Amino acid sequence: MNFLTELGTYVVENQSELLSMTWTHILMVIYGIALALLVGVPLGILAAKFEKIAPFILSSTNILQLIPSLAMLAILMLYFGLGFQTMVIGLFFYSLLPIVRNTYVGIKEVDKSVTEAGKGIGMTPGQLLRKIEVPLSLPFLMAGLRVGSVIAVAVACIGPYIGAGGLGDEIISGISLQSEIKIYAGAIPATLIAIIADAVLGRFEAKTKARMAP
Amino acid sequence: MELVSDYIEFWQEKNNVIWEYTYQHIAISFIAILFAILLTVPLAIYMTKMKNNFIKNSIFNIANVFQTIPTIALFAIMIPFLGIGFKPAVIALFLYALLPLLRNTYAGVQAIEPDIIESAKGMGYSPMQRIFKIEIPVALPYIMSGIRTTTVYVISWTTLAAVVGAGGLGGLVLSGIGFNDQHMIFTGTILAILMALLLDFFFASVEQKLLKR
Amino acid sequence: MMKKILFGSLFLIGFILTGCGDDSSADGGEVFQYGAQTYSDPKIMGQVVKQLVEDQTDHEVEITEDIQASPQIINALDQGEFDFATLFSGEVYNNHFDEDKIEFSTDPQKTIDQAQTLFDEKFNLNWYDSIGFNNQYSITVPEEFATTHDLQTISDLSEYASDMEVGADSAWKERENDGYRDFVDEYGYEFKNVRGMEISLMYEGIAGGDLDAITAYTVDPHILENNLVILEDDQNFFAPYDASIVARNELLENYPEVSDVLDSIVDSISTKEMTALIREVDINERSTAEVAEEFLKEKGMLE
Repeated sequence: MNFLTELGTYVVENQSELLSMTWTHILMVIYGIALALLVGVPLGILAAKFEKIAPFILSSTNILQLIPSLAMLAILMLYFGLGFQTMVIGLFFYSLLPIVRNTYVGIKEVDKSVTEAGKGIGMTPGQLLRKIEVPLSLPFLMAGLRVGSVIAVAVACIGPYIGAGGLGDEIISGISLQSEIKIYAGAIPATLIAIIADAVLGRFEAKTKARMAP
Repeated sequence: MELVSDYIEFWQEKNNVIWEYTYQHIAISFIAILFAILLTVPLAIYMTKMKNNFIKNSIFNIANVFQTIPTIALFAIMIPFLGIGFKPAVIALFLYALLPLLRNTYAGVQAIEPDIIESAKGMGYSPMQRIFKIEIPVALPYIMSGIRTTTVYVISWTTLAAVVGAGGLGGLVLSGIGFNDQHMIFTGTILAILMALLLDFFFASVEQKLLKR
Repeated sequence: MMKKILFGSLFLIGFILTGCGDDSSADGGEVFQYGAQTYSDPKIMGQVVKQLVEDQTDHEVEITEDIQASPQIINALDQGEFDFATLFSGEVYNNHFDEDKIEFSTDPQKTIDQAQTLFDEKFNLNWYDSIGFNNQYSITVPEEFATTHDLQTISDLSEYASDMEVGADSAWKERENDGYRDFVDEYGYEFKNVRGMEISLMYEGIAGGDLDAITAYTVDPHILENNLVILEDDQNFFAPYDASIVARNELLENYPEVSDVLDSIVDSISTKEMTALIREVDINERSTAEVAEEFLKEKGMLE
């Protein structure tokens, strides 16, 4: 109980810093994911349309995700320098795989009869993509987004090691000061962000799925 | 060219050390996954028989929360309770592995056609026999694919365990960062990737075989 | 839907690209960047630099803490992302220079001389004379263990080493010259196991009994706090780590007033004083800003 009150006092005393860290954290994740969507969705569509390059696209994004986060950031730092933008690029790489893969799978899963029907009423390939394939694969994309954002929130926590800030500031300085209060003051909001992202995107996923259902 | 010969020299000089880090990495990931499998597979099968939806959902939610705790934070939180080194690392990774394993096993058993179960009942199988002779074998492809994804993730997360003193390939990466040695960073990274890819490939072929059967 | 996502993302990216880079202070001076490692002495020095520079010039200083390792700080200094940092003379042996350019020595003067010339040549950095404290590696064991076995020097440890779990920072295991492998050559024994980890966790580990000895940093108050004793380095093996402020030459040329401030930091804080400051931060959990301010006022360096 004592620990909880101490934690409470600490959070209240440092609320403005904690809020700004939370905000930085969220921004890093949003930017990273936005970049990943911007690049990942077209890549996923490409992979689905041109089956020949699909293995190449999928396995290279897969390898990106397997790079240990500490090493990835150390390497990125050599090229992009310190701080926020380097972290955003790192998060972009980490959330690419779920987005590319799920877009790919989603489009592949679109029922042949539906696309045939689209072609039958004279849709161009572009229209087919915009009006049928992309909307129908949205639930999959949402699921990918959900996985990607939970990973991104976690990876963003090691941001301070490369000077990027975010809630990792509390966690890492908590480790180096051996202060459990600081660790929890960073870990709890970070976990909450992940849980909320997971829940909100999960709801979107369910909604898009429900809309798809005949 | 000089780069290559430098790198070969690096390996000759350090190969003992490199294998030690690799071995630690394998040990940490393997034990974490093994325990996670031992817990989740029976639990998930039990959950498919459970009538109480509330408990079922709570178990899923708890496993989900573990998975959303940022890796570095989970390692850090473990320290006050478990000290440093191998123990907190294995337990943190174990907690991470729970959800995907639980979800896949549950989905696999759940997806079995009721007809199959009914006919087994008709043939006079006891509940235990049904689990071992029918449910597990039929759900095996699902279970395997859960194990496959989990293993790949756990291997990648294990690199952060070096921060809490558990060693593993992350130790090589951290040493490289601290000692300003690109070779070490590169080697730690490549070995971690290779390990994940090899296991992924291995499980994929096992999965294929199981599917054929 | 797609269009909205697309435009949203484009907008965000534009925002990132324009969002960075605002570097003039309220008084019309510049905003300089100071980078600190994960441990407390460079963080405290960051506050010292910040408060003195802001007091005596129109410029401001921003501090970035918890950078993983000093080579990353040097890289950032080299690229102009950081302007100042606190580094230790032994850093010169940390694989930054070709082997034929540098000669390993445990002599403090030789070490800092080499650091000053070599970092100036290769990275265009000004390595000031020592701040006055040093923070080098030492082999440290619990006091109880030392008294029961009557240990004074690192050599005395040889009998027990094969049963000992040792905690060290990750780089020590692998570094050349004064790292573990050369330690084994020099002292002629090996420990049962050496584990690399985040520095502060070593203390946690030895307090909890998971570790039997650690490569503590001599300035750390945790050594006293956890009843540990430093064993004498009787083979004179460990390199000296005298702390210095390091700054970019280019900046010092353009802003000589900053150089004057940094000069005044030379020889101003002894090891004992730094230990006391770190104690305030690490053990009494006070902020680095407050602790540094109090110290500077006491010393008469700040009004």
